[in-house]
Amino acid sequence: MARIGVFLCHCGSNIAGAVNISEVAETVRKLPQVVHVEDNKFTCSDPGQAAIQKAITEHKLNRVVIGACSPRMHETTFRRTVAGAGLNPYLLEIANIREHCSWVHPDQVELATAKAIDLVRRAVARVAWQEPLTPKQVGITRRALVIGGGIAGIQASLDIADAGYEVVLVEREPSIGGHMAQLDKTFPTLDCSACILTPKMTMVGQHANIKLMSYSELEDISGYIGNFRVRIKNKSRYIDVSKCTGCGECAKACPVELNSEFDLNLGRRKAIYIPFPQAIPNKYTIDKRGYPPCRVACPAGVNAQGYIALISQGKFNEALEVLRRTMPFAGVCGRVCTHPCEQECERGKVDQPVAIRTLKRFMADYELKAGREKATPVERTKEEKVAIVGSGPAGLACAYDLVRQGYPVTVFESAPEAGGLLRYGIPEYRLPKEVLSSEISYIQELGVEIKTNTPVKNLTKIFNEGYKAVFLGTGAGISQKMGIPGENTPGVLHSLDFLRQVNAGVKVNLGSKVAISGGGNAAVDAARVARRLGANEITVVYRRSRDEMPAIPSEIEEMEREGVKIQFLAAPVKVLSKESRVNGMQCIRMELGEPDASGRRRPVPIKGSEFTMDVDNVIIAIGQGLDKAMLPEGLAYTNWGTLTVDPVTLQTNIDGVFAGGDVVSGPADIISAVAAGKEAAISVDRYLKGIDMKEGRPETREKVKDVPKEGVVKKERAAMPTLELGERKGFDEVELGFDEKTAVEEAKRCLNCAVCSECLECEKVCEAEAIDHEMQDKISEEDVGAIVVATGAGVLDHTQFSIYGGGVYPDVVSSLQLERMMNAAGPTGGEVLRPSNGAHPKEIVFISCVGSRDERTGSGYCSKVCCMYMAKEAIMLKEHDPEAHSYIIYTDARGPGGKIFEDFLTRAEEAGTTYMRGQIDSVSQQDGRLLISGQGFFTNEKFNIPADLVVLATGLMPNEDASKLFQTIHVSYDAKNYLLQAHPKLRPVETAMDGIFIAGCAVAPTDVPESVTQGSAAAEYVLKLFSQEAIEAEPMTSIVDIARCAGCLLCRQVCPFQAIEAETLRDGRTVASINESLCKGCGICVVACRPGAIKLRGFGDQQVLAEVMAL
Amino acid sequence: MSVEYQPKVIGFLCNWCSYAGADMAGTSRMGYPQNIRIIRVPCSGRVDPLLVLKCFQRGADGVLVSGCHPGDCHYTEGNYHTRRRFALLREFLDYLGIAKERLKVEWVSASEGQRFAELVSDFTAELTKLGPRSKV
Repeated sequence: MARIGVFLCHCGSNIAGAVNISEVAETVRKLPQVVHVEDNKFTCSDPGQAAIQKAITEHKLNRVVIGACSPRMHETTFRRTVAGAGLNPYLLEIANIREHCSWVHPDQVELATAKAIDLVRRAVARVAWQEPLTPKQVGITRRALVIGGGIAGIQASLDIADAGYEVVLVEREPSIGGHMAQLDKTFPTLDCSACILTPKMTMVGQHANIKLMSYSELEDISGYIGNFRVRIKNKSRYIDVSKCTGCGECAKACPVELNSEFDLNLGRRKAIYIPFPQAIPNKYTIDKRGYPPCRVACPAGVNAQGYIALISQGKFNEALEVLRRTMPFAGVCGRVCTHPCEQECERGKVDQPVAIRTLKRFMADYELKAGREKATPVERTKEEKVAIVGSGPAGLACAYDLVRQGYPVTVFESAPEAGGLLRYGIPEYRLPKEVLSSEISYIQELGVEIKTNTPVKNLTKIFNEGYKAVFLGTGAGISQKMGIPGENTPGVLHSLDFLRQVNAGVKVNLGSKVAISGGGNAAVDAARVARRLGANEITVVYRRSRDEMPAIPSEIEEMEREGVKIQFLAAPVKVLSKESRVNGMQCIRMELGEPDASGRRRPVPIKGSEFTMDVDNVIIAIGQGLDKAMLPEGLAYTNWGTLTVDPVTLQTNIDGVFAGGDVVSGPADIISAVAAGKEAAISVDRYLKGIDMKEGRPETREKVKDVPKEGVVKKERAAMPTLELGERKGFDEVELGFDEKTAVEEAKRCLNCAVCSECLECEKVCEAEAIDHEMQDKISEEDVGAIVVATGAGVLDHTQFSIYGGGVYPDVVSSLQLERMMNAAGPTGGEVLRPSNGAHPKEIVFISCVGSRDERTGSGYCSKVCCMYMAKEAIMLKEHDPEAHSYIIYTDARGPGGKIFEDFLTRAEEAGTTYMRGQIDSVSQQDGRLLISGQGFFTNEKFNIPADLVVLATGLMPNEDASKLFQTIHVSYDAKNYLLQAHPKLRPVETAMDGIFIAGCAVAPTDVPESVTQGSAAAEYVLKLFSQEAIEAEPMTSIVDIARCAGCLLCRQVCPFQAIEAETLRDGRTVASINESLCKGCGICVVACRPGAIKLRGFGDQQVLAEVMAL
Repeated sequence: MSVEYQPKVIGFLCNWCSYAGADMAGTSRMGYPQNIRIIRVPCSGRVDPLLVLKCFQRGADGVLVSGCHPGDCHYTEGNYHTRRRFALLREFLDYLGIAKERLKVEWVSASEGQRFAELVSDFTAELTKLGPRSKV
């Protein structure tokens, strides 16, 4: 039997003014189980609380209802009151008749009273069903987590650490210090910001109790007050901080330079950098942003950005070294590669892609011109011999990788010389033989043995000779037949045979009229070779249109310049002959129909459109295939006649025999063959070591996202100098390559997409051996008892304010940029200069409230610090240059509260600053200076002020990713993405989440003294928590009634906190079991439970139902 | 429909966001019609659709279920469950002969006092126009 006591509060006139308390009391008195009703003017006061306790004892009450303000206000207070009288504090229910009643219905006494009665009746109905609950005592982990290493976070960390507790300080930038580190001087004392900040930073760095995790970000927080478990990602700096001495030699050697974020794009930094000289930790960081698009596009993963960055610095030999880490064909690929890298080059989105291929070639030519030194043979560290069949790009690339790992490698080549199609397919005018031979010799000098004139058809024999693994890179060197009548007539040549002969130095006789069938590189090569052999009328006959021609576009262009014609949308049907020699070719016109398997539209012959061409020779270049007769027996083939291999390991059906290149893919390009050779080398190495060949393959390369292109000035790609048409008689090389100056200029066009180019120059100069480019991000897990969130503010981008000239005129800067200029350690060495011409500005205009108090830019609030910092900057400008004069054009200028704040503005005026109350109409350019036009407030007098520098007093705003971070922490934030305080007046550093405290600009715009204060305040709450023995955990958790539980475990699926597990009872039944420590009491499981077996203590179905029934 | 018809509205508000938002409406002295009776729950995910039906059974003319904005739920996912459950219940209301408009599921954050007041005003006005509900 419940004995319910109802206590109605007047709350002065807050409730009594709108609700007829006595009427409520009278009505409520009649409710069942209510044995006592009383009212009180201020129930939460001492006498009010005492009255409740007295009543409980006197009337032997076992349930209490209080009709008063919101339970979010005083539930805790009243629970304590009730407990004080010996009653379980959870046998209390509060009816909110103030915030939800009297305050929102102030003038409708009748209705408000009726509502109040309803609300109290609801509470009475509910409280009858409430059960006594006992909160568990939970231990506290006396360690704190501080998120954010700005001044607020630093202060909080120091306070907690000094009190003797361990602090984990997580900062996402490489150094702590936040925005205060970017300031030159601070108001109102004009202390040098770094001077007052760095001692605190150093203390943090050296404090025994502070575990500083810089360059780290929060991943996840779980748990509850006193018992949080935090997961932190420690981003990789690629530098071992325990070894780095901060000497800076690495930065000197780094070829990649970009805008410094710390200096707000006014200064530059390298890819390996320390953000500012007083950084804590004073260690370097390498900025890597993924793989550059060129490297991802290259099948072989060549690091183009790496060698291009070094070429831009004139370090040509080092650049070649970077390429040779991956493959040896600088000169070859630099001339004939299909350059998929250039297709993906981000520079192409600005103007044209960087000439990556030609820069690669430049490195090789540079070395050859100076005289290539013989390569040092690689030390043989392994015994297992590897046989490679075929000395084309696939075989040679495979050999190159294996010999460098210490394997004895022998390459078997059936032709008289090595190179495969590189030598016997590609004509001399594209790839001079001396370039090819030099690179093949290089491979031999490393230790690869090449046996020419040695075909291999018997694998057993190879294995018997002691080879432990074989790679087949025999290519697809047979020209495909067209299958048309007359194909065997003398005078008909097949392209590969034709090119092979010419490349081998054999004299080939051609007539003056030649037709070539096909549209790929072989056809184009054949055409241009035919030209050089004296043919006059050369026509390439291609069955599709120009868009579908697969040959390299620059090749097609040169071919046409050399006088070769192309007959599109035509195909040969018959070779005509006279006296058993070719004298013509009959063709038919084609039109494009539906796309075929390759995605290109299928050509369809047009009936009756045959025509005849008058020719002396026909060269067929329609495709290439394998010659099975040349390959060893026992191999498996695909339906297209190529070798079948495992797509990941490249192993054939025969154990220990691998294959790659054209023999597997069919005719493709050189770089794909190189890539296949390299993949096979990995497989061979693993195979010989007996380890898993598939693990971790294929390797995925994450392409860098979002390459910024602001400030990139358009510059055309360097043109390839070519031999004049008149000079192209013999087989002299047509493309001449870049000279040094052109190469360096072209290399400078590279945007350095991934920032760090992995050129590894830094590693070479680091004496401390601190650099490790293979470092991985780490995840740390920490147990803490309290969390302080001090993540600070973001910087407003002044370039969006084009109305004030921001982003339009270089002499319109933001206030923070001005700070950097004034700072002696800044990008201009402490000189305030006009960005446009480097002169000292004499007239400076400050525009206030930029981005603040302006809903259009989303921040309708006042940023609080700008009036003060404008005054500060004006005073400092005068100090830098006594002849400079500043205008501050303001809407309202205040030195808000604070000690000597208002005086500070007066001081600025006394220093000669002109304060003008006005609004700006426009900022424009006139005679090389800026003109600020506007009109005064209240006077409406127009003004036009010429100035050398305009400073936009940009306001504070939250970080871009603030909302995402706050969601991870589970703290509430408002519509403007600032943190929500538990109570804006009385609980400014607490949040609705127990154990999580907040401080600084992440809460609202604040200045340094306030941030410090809040940091200390937050620390105090942490220490208060730690000084308790134990804390009481909320007892409102869910519990399963196993009698009703059906074991469906739907509850486990819906629990956001993984608090529910399956449990097997002794009778074999499976039921759900809830871990009270993890349960947060949300009640989702209660609703999900179909048999209704789960009860949320404090919010059970019966209780809530009672409320509904009462209403 | 009598002249003085006042719809009876039950509101289930989650402790962390919407209840606090309603408190904020009170603190800021924003007026709204007195028809609503609020029941506090720890999370909008605690509100059983059957409970809402019970409300209609017992004579409510309208029911409001309110919680935190998606992504901001104090318990991370509660409001997602709410969203789904009530999307489903909505479809059943027609079948039961209850106008869909009588169930309102809205998200109110702790700082949105104004929004809460407007929400209740609008909802009450809509319900007044709909008239009293015939018994289920």
